Amino acid sequence: MHIVVCTKYTPDSEAKMSVDEAGNVSWGDSPLIINPWDEYAVEEALLLRDEYGGKVTVISMGPEEALEALKHAVAMGADEAIRVWDDACAGSDTLATSYVLARTIDAIGEVDLVLCGKSAIDAETWQTGVALATRLNVPSLMYTINIAELDPDEGTITVERLLEQGRQVVEASLPAVVGTIKGINEPRYTSFIGIRKAAGMDYPLWTLEDIGADPDRVGESGSGVRWPTVFEPPVREGEAEIIEAETVEEEAQILAEKLLAEKVI
Amino acid sequence: MDFSWTEEQRLWRRGVRDFAQNEIAPRVREIDETEHIPRDIIEGMAEMGLLAPTVGEEYGGVGADWIMAAIAAEELGRADISLAVPVLYLVEAAWGFIFYQYGSERLKEAYLPQVTRGEAFLGIATTEPEGGSDILGACQTRAEKDGDAWVFNGEKTYISGVRESLEWGGIHLMLTRTADVDEAGHKAFTFFAMPLKGTEGITPTFFDDMGRMGISTGGFALDDVRMPADHQVGEFNRGFYHAMEGFSAARTLIGATCVGASKAALEMGMDHIKMRHAFGRPVASYEGVQFPLADLYTDLAGTELSTYKAAWTMDQKYQHDAATHHDIALAAAMAKLKAPILGFELMNEVADWFGAMAYTKECPVEMGIRGIRSYSIGAEGTPNIMRIIIARELLGQGFLPTLYTEKA
Repeated sequence: MHIVVCTKYTPDSEAKMSVDEAGNVSWGDSPLIINPWDEYAVEEALLLRDEYGGKVTVISMGPEEALEALKHAVAMGADEAIRVWDDACAGSDTLATSYVLARTIDAIGEVDLVLCGKSAIDAETWQTGVALATRLNVPSLMYTINIAELDPDEGTITVERLLEQGRQVVEASLPAVVGTIKGINEPRYTSFIGIRKAAGMDYPLWTLEDIGADPDRVGESGSGVRWPTVFEPPVREGEAEIIEAETVEEEAQILAEKLLAEKVI
Repeated sequence: MDFSWTEEQRLWRRGVRDFAQNEIAPRVREIDETEHIPRDIIEGMAEMGLLAPTVGEEYGGVGADWIMAAIAAEELGRADISLAVPVLYLVEAAWGFIFYQYGSERLKEAYLPQVTRGEAFLGIATTEPEGGSDILGACQTRAEKDGDAWVFNGEKTYISGVRESLEWGGIHLMLTRTADVDEAGHKAFTFFAMPLKGTEGITPTFFDDMGRMGISTGGFALDDVRMPADHQVGEFNRGFYHAMEGFSAARTLIGATCVGASKAALEMGMDHIKMRHAFGRPVASYEGVQFPLADLYTDLAGTELSTYKAAWTMDQKYQHDAATHHDIALAAAMAKLKAPILGFELMNEVADWFGAMAYTKECPVEMGIRGIRSYSIGAEGTPNIMRIIIARELLGQGFLPTLYTEKA
């Protein structure tokens, strides 16, 4: 079974974001990491590979910094990694990104399953996975919290999706795009052996030409989203009050009264 | 000259930090209070390749070089400033390497895969009631040949991991006297692998430690303990030299872990003095705080360089055969001399910045002070022994103080 995982590099979740007067967004000197949601997708791919055999290929569209995500996935245990980039890709929104990823998966050839995180922690659009499935013309199984059954021979997959209304069990044909959420697994840490492999491996760079993509459909020209203005929201004013009393019970009583008075509860 | 890390080293530091900060750092107080390293932490370390990493892959290790081993030691010290997890790590990394180099095939197959999986402990036992660093005078446990077996009598004390070895199984590399010291001098000692769990004739003792509570300190008496001949580790009567090799390895990693714990304490202190106000201004704005900070940071940066130079020298020796035992003894002694003492001073200074809170268990710095004191007192060699080694390498064997003590 060949599983492809789409990954993205993002700033660390503890990064302090700032926006300057010209609207440029900065993540400070935050280290770049694999998008945390994508770690669940990589872990699930590794578990499925170990159970059903085959290989896991991770892909990422991005400049050289995207190698951080690919190296992390390889250090976790992924078999192969491909970076896709062309200067024309800069400024791609989900429309353009999903186009590039779909063209890449088509270029890879035989793919049984595509996994991705539900969203990326930087832009949080939640759209790339769905758009990718649409472009590949395969089932979209977003918000998956459990892959209940997988039958590579029959080409079927059954997943549990965690929706606001509850859990939904869905059966679909393969290939499909599965979007993973927290709780589907516990991503492993990168091991010494995995890191040694990740540090020494070659990461092929595929260009738009390699994947047969139209340069007009990527980057800003291929994107539907425009950013007229970008600004930092004003800092919310607030006050902290420390409740002190003789006993914890008294403190809890005072807290409850205050919350009732403020109509919080 | 190039101070940059390789890609492998950079990714390894990030990987270990990720694991250690997520899985160990939030539980250091629990480890200190329960005097126990939780099983899931040991299992996580095994999965990452953090248990006896210097052992080759054929026995379940990962074949880490010494810079990689030192990076892990630093990151574990940064996460666990009580130094309990780091002690477990570095004892196995250093002495596991000696066992991997000199142990018999059968014994390595029997123990190393278990050690690297976290199912057995591997420790070191040289110190005796009469003393530690003075091996010639203090190491009196005897090994005598009886047919195909060895018979041991004596006592080892202040040994890390006695409880772990008794509970999990495993071995301590035990230095014993196998010749007349007056005649053979340093060539009077041999190493043996001593399993404590289930061994007839072993009587353990335990100490209530001041710090690094998560790993036990104890001892064991040996009363006619019998072991097969293949429990000999290394050459007969060359145990002293194998011990010195292991001490150099351990001292390098001690340097690294103390640097890590010091960095953690300094960062905690800096965060605090930037937030805390006194007399209408941040505590960090006072020169009385800034000047010690500047001095400590400078000393720490120097000690860090010295420590990684020691690890690099170890790699020059073991990876490239381009350094001698003297080179590694000198480099490791310098790292071991500076890092624990500096760490202790640094943590005391940081405690001053925290004020009264530092004297409570609300503040983790007290765990650091208690833990690092083990290494500044002298586990794996006292500061004065480090000074003697450094002076010996500078002046030559002919000026060793012991030579003149004997003449007098």
